[in-house]
Amino acid sequence: MSEEKKYRKVRIKKGPKGWGKELIIEPKPGRDLIYSVTGGGIHPLAQHIADLSGGTPFDGFKSKAGFEEIAVVIIDCGGTARIGVYPMKKVPTVDIYPTSPSGPLMRFITEEFFVSGVRLEDVEVIE
Amino acid sequence: MNPTVVKYEAVVTEIGPLVSEFTEAGVLVFFGDQAPEELREFAILHDGKKLAADVVPGDLICLDDDQFRVLAVGEVANQNLSALGHFIVKFNGESTPEMPGDICAESRPVPVIAVGARLKIIGSE
Repeated sequence: MSEEKKYRKVRIKKGPKGWGKELIIEPKPGRDLIYSVTGGGIHPLAQHIADLSGGTPFDGFKSKAGFEEIAVVIIDCGGTARIGVYPMKKVPTVDIYPTSPSGPLMRFITEEFFVSGVRLEDVEVIE
Repeated sequence: MNPTVVKYEAVVTEIGPLVSEFTEAGVLVFFGDQAPEELREFAILHDGKKLAADVVPGDLICLDDDQFRVLAVGEVANQNLSALGHFIVKFNGESTPEMPGDICAESRPVPVIAVGARLKIIGSE
């Protein structure tokens, strides 16, 4: 892997049926993982965010990483567990399903750390 | 009653230290044993592999000798179970899932689960 990685700042907006506002994600050296915690490997949305931002796609079910290495987490959470675990750790979290804060960890799910219902077209490069 | 079919079968391999956060809310969170560390904390891990048929209302979730009737199944619950061994059981008596990942079961106290417990989901053909 080249050390000459070019990172770009991206805006990830909530989808039309989703919750939240938008997350601004800027991978940095040492914190550039686009961490997919989804069924079936790297989710296409995670790949897309990686392609646009220059971050590194990463399958959370295959390998281990520390939270400090993660730029953003992509989940396919049905609304109870993953939706809260990553915001609780203050890791920006994108749910592909249009869920709203719920579950026992609901208090951690804030607009600062969470958007949902996100589609490929909801991601754009801003810098 | 039609012949029963075992849709999913597993043995509990690990109980996360923070599982009580969810059981106190009437929820059990299961994950397959490939789950990353941060999810294991909150989850009941198990060795289940293949989902033989989609879970539907009317099925039974068996935890050792206890049986719980499934009342509702959210639209992504089967996909999560099949791909990740991940499912959520809410013992809330609801016939409509609140969230798309929910499996709703009879409103009864959340069963206490230990490592080695046998989990089965059975339904009719």
